[in-house]
Amino acid sequence: MPVRSSDRLELLQGTLDMLILKTLLFGPTHGHGIGTHIRQTTGDTLVVDHGSLYPALHRLQRDGFISAKWEKAPDRNREFKYYRLTAAGRRHLTREQSRWNSLVQAIGLIMNPLAEG
Amino acid sequence: MLRRFIARIWNRRSPSDTEIARELQDHLDLETESLGAANSTTDARFAASRRFGNVALAREAVRDVWHFAWLDDLEQDIRHSARALWRSPAYSVAVVVTLAMGIGAGASTYSLSHAIHDPFPRLPQHKLLWLTQTSAACAPDCTEVSPAGFAALRTRAPSVTPVGVFSWGTALRTAGGSLLLRGFQVTPTAFAVLEAPFAAGHGFPNDAGQPGGARLAVLAYDFWVRQFGARTSVIDSIITLGGEPYRVTGVLAKDVIFPMAADVYAPFMPRASEASTYGSRNYMVFAKLAPGATFAAAAAETRTIGAQLVRESPATDSGWVLRARPIADFHTDDVSIIETISAVAALLVFIAGCMSAANLGLSRLAARRHELALRTALGVGRWRLVRHLLTEALLLSLVASVLGTLLARWSVHAMRDAIPASFAAFLPGWARLDLDVGALAFSLGAAMLAVVAFGALPALGATRTDLKSVLSDGGRASTGGVRTARSRATLIVLEVSTALVLLTAATLLARSVRNMVQGNAGVRIDHTLVMQLTMPRGMNDSAATAFYRQIDANLSATAGVRAAGVATSTPLSNNFSGTPFQIPGRASSGKGHDPSAIDQHVTPGYADASGVRVVSGRMIGPRDEPGTQRVIVINQMMADAFWPQEDPIGRIVTLDSTAWTIVGVASNVHHGGLDEPMRYTVYRSILQVPLSYGVIAVHTSGEPELMRDVVREVVARTDPSVAIGEMMTMAQMQGRHVSPFTMMANMLVVLAVVTITIAVVGLYGLIAYSVAQRTRELGVRVALGARPHDILVQVAWGAVRLTIVALVFGLVGAALFARLLVALLYGVSASDPGTFFMVSAGLLGVAVLAALIPSIRAARVDPMVALRGD
Repeated sequence: MPVRSSDRLELLQGTLDMLILKTLLFGPTHGHGIGTHIRQTTGDTLVVDHGSLYPALHRLQRDGFISAKWEKAPDRNREFKYYRLTAAGRRHLTREQSRWNSLVQAIGLIMNPLAEG
Repeated sequence: MLRRFIARIWNRRSPSDTEIARELQDHLDLETESLGAANSTTDARFAASRRFGNVALAREAVRDVWHFAWLDDLEQDIRHSARALWRSPAYSVAVVVTLAMGIGAGASTYSLSHAIHDPFPRLPQHKLLWLTQTSAACAPDCTEVSPAGFAALRTRAPSVTPVGVFSWGTALRTAGGSLLLRGFQVTPTAFAVLEAPFAAGHGFPNDAGQPGGARLAVLAYDFWVRQFGARTSVIDSIITLGGEPYRVTGVLAKDVIFPMAADVYAPFMPRASEASTYGSRNYMVFAKLAPGATFAAAAAETRTIGAQLVRESPATDSGWVLRARPIADFHTDDVSIIETISAVAALLVFIAGCMSAANLGLSRLAARRHELALRTALGVGRWRLVRHLLTEALLLSLVASVLGTLLARWSVHAMRDAIPASFAAFLPGWARLDLDVGALAFSLGAAMLAVVAFGALPALGATRTDLKSVLSDGGRASTGGVRTARSRATLIVLEVSTALVLLTAATLLARSVRNMVQGNAGVRIDHTLVMQLTMPRGMNDSAATAFYRQIDANLSATAGVRAAGVATSTPLSNNFSGTPFQIPGRASSGKGHDPSAIDQHVTPGYADASGVRVVSGRMIGPRDEPGTQRVIVINQMMADAFWPQEDPIGRIVTLDSTAWTIVGVASNVHHGGLDEPMRYTVYRSILQVPLSYGVIAVHTSGEPELMRDVVREVVARTDPSVAIGEMMTMAQMQGRHVSPFTMMANMLVVLAVVTITIAVVGLYGLIAYSVAQRTRELGVRVALGARPHDILVQVAWGAVRLTIVALVFGLVGAALFARLLVALLYGVSASDPGTFFMVSAGLLGVAVLAALIPSIRAARVDPMVALRGD
């Protein structure tokens, strides 16, 4: 069995999924749009590797968190695969986000004890 | 977890490869575009590609998302299940073996039943009838219709198109000598009426079979393959049958059987004069319903014609009834009984197999409550657990299915080969006996269902059990297991009663077979070789007589032969004809109602050759020739019936309107089956009443099988035109009668042993489990002063009580099943109390033994160990 790309992504997986879901909260867009949004919003700090982005999109679609549809782009005469958030995806995002927040807080307690002290 | 799982199934439709490729290409294009705003197009594309990395790899990764998630979970489940099963080999092997046996025995036995059930494959059975003429005095032996009756059916019954059939023994001349064939003469339209398919050529023209017309023949498929190598060039060629040339018009399709397995058919056209021949009933009559006609209409017409026949010729036909019956009736009742018994037995053993698998599943579940509760506590989802158990159950039933299929195939073929070809000809469908795919599919499906239903579904309940109670009890709590234990007890009661039913039937049949084999046929069984012979057509009486005069002496003079003789038919052959007789001075019961006797035309050597004893007077001798006094020897039964207090020797018997003087009384001989009633028999000299066919019996000093070639040679030397048919030893002849019963008995014995093993193992398991569950309780009781003996008795009593309940159910079932067997039993009653008692006692004994082992263990419980807990 070949090494699954999801295995390679193990560390990033949860985070990347969350970032994708968050991006789609602003409206449906295609893979390139998501990647661009993440890169631009983080000021080029986070550059999502395409070999990670598309497997993640398909995994989220498979699990029912996002849905996909071929649609014509508003600015040109060409169809792209648009992803949009499902109700389940919205709930999942809320859960993930609160988990992320507590994780950040917990890590912060260890990394910056004085600031809390 | 479950929701995600469902979502996964819902969204499982994976995008096509082109769709993925297109999506990635779009990305590349968009990337190029955004970079292209700043740079030249070529550079932009290059930069985009570089940023993107390996497109093929990305495509691969996306595809993997869809492919492997599903497979991966399954593979993990299977691996996990296989490991779990591997760790409990006793359970796995027990389930696989019992299920495989259930599937194998069930499917093969049902296949047997199914094959017999379809006696006329490839013919439109639902439209076919069998027309018989019977009288109360003659039933059930007489079924054939008089020529006048057949003529009336042809002209006066608009609802049916009748077909007339005669048995036709003939011989094919081949390069290697004459070969005796089994054939039928049929009215020329027979094959068209029956809608019989042909493998090659066609049937007879409608006007075939006229006296003096062209001689035509149709070959049966198997005979064509065997004798002519399936060459189509045989069509329109000339073959020599019974010394006459016949042109072959066609070959019937494979598996066409009518009315019994045969080699060859020839047409005959009833003569006009036969329309007024009432007395001699010799037509086998079959018919097809006319389009739109109903069976009831045909039956009514047939009855009316029967009544007309009685009015037309009351002297011959009064008391005789013409009947229409479904064609399936043509095959004897024994066959349908075998069919029913095997179907019921198949069902019973199959049920037992499934119940046992269910039982094992329940007990494993009970044993694993601890493990399951622990895993639930560790956060394994319930659905995941159930899925795991399901996979386990399916894995087991899969392995069992493969084994069961192999077992079923093997046993079907073993059954088919267990019966000699000569007898199989009388069992419709035997040659075609093969594994019934429908039966197999049903067994596999039901077996799988049983395992799943009992092995996995209760897991839903089990995983819901209160964690704390299970875990804190160290897994020994008996409360949670009560329901399971009760279901298991019920299953075991059912298993044991099924075992009792099968064992009783098997014992009854086995005893019956033993009685049959030991039964006295009235003739020698060992060291005797018998064979059929046929004189060529057109051989005159003097030539036949010359052969009969020489054959005894020629054979007896051969080394290894003690005695030899000719007769009309062989004992135990079931191949005899009755001749009506009267006794002068006794009131005749009227024409057509006279008693009939098996008519043996014999040479002087026959009595010694076959082992018929002379009780008083003498046997037929060499000087009983044409021109001398007509003499007859009667059998003991006939002597006892008509001259109970007197010496019959010197008395007169009238046969064929001729007076015959009794010169001797011979011992009784069974010419039919051993289980059939003895019949009146007369012996006359073959020289005084020449025959164109008969049988030779040879008493050998050594192994009769070894004398085949020698005997054939001597017959050919005496007259090369005489054809010899199949040679059999008398032991084989007896086996022919016994083998279907032996086979039935063997089958039931095997099925019974399988079921008993299953039931006893189940009982043992249940008791052992309950002892393990009650260790603490037993410990308390020992500590409080209970003696080991009390505990042993108490535990064992639990098993005995279950067995007794099972025996009550089982005995009722066995009594019902035995009623099916009645017609197959010989020398033992279907309600034989000895058998029922013996079987019940035996089963109870085995059950007690099975319960004793865990009971002893229970009695030895060390209170210290039991109470310390874990």
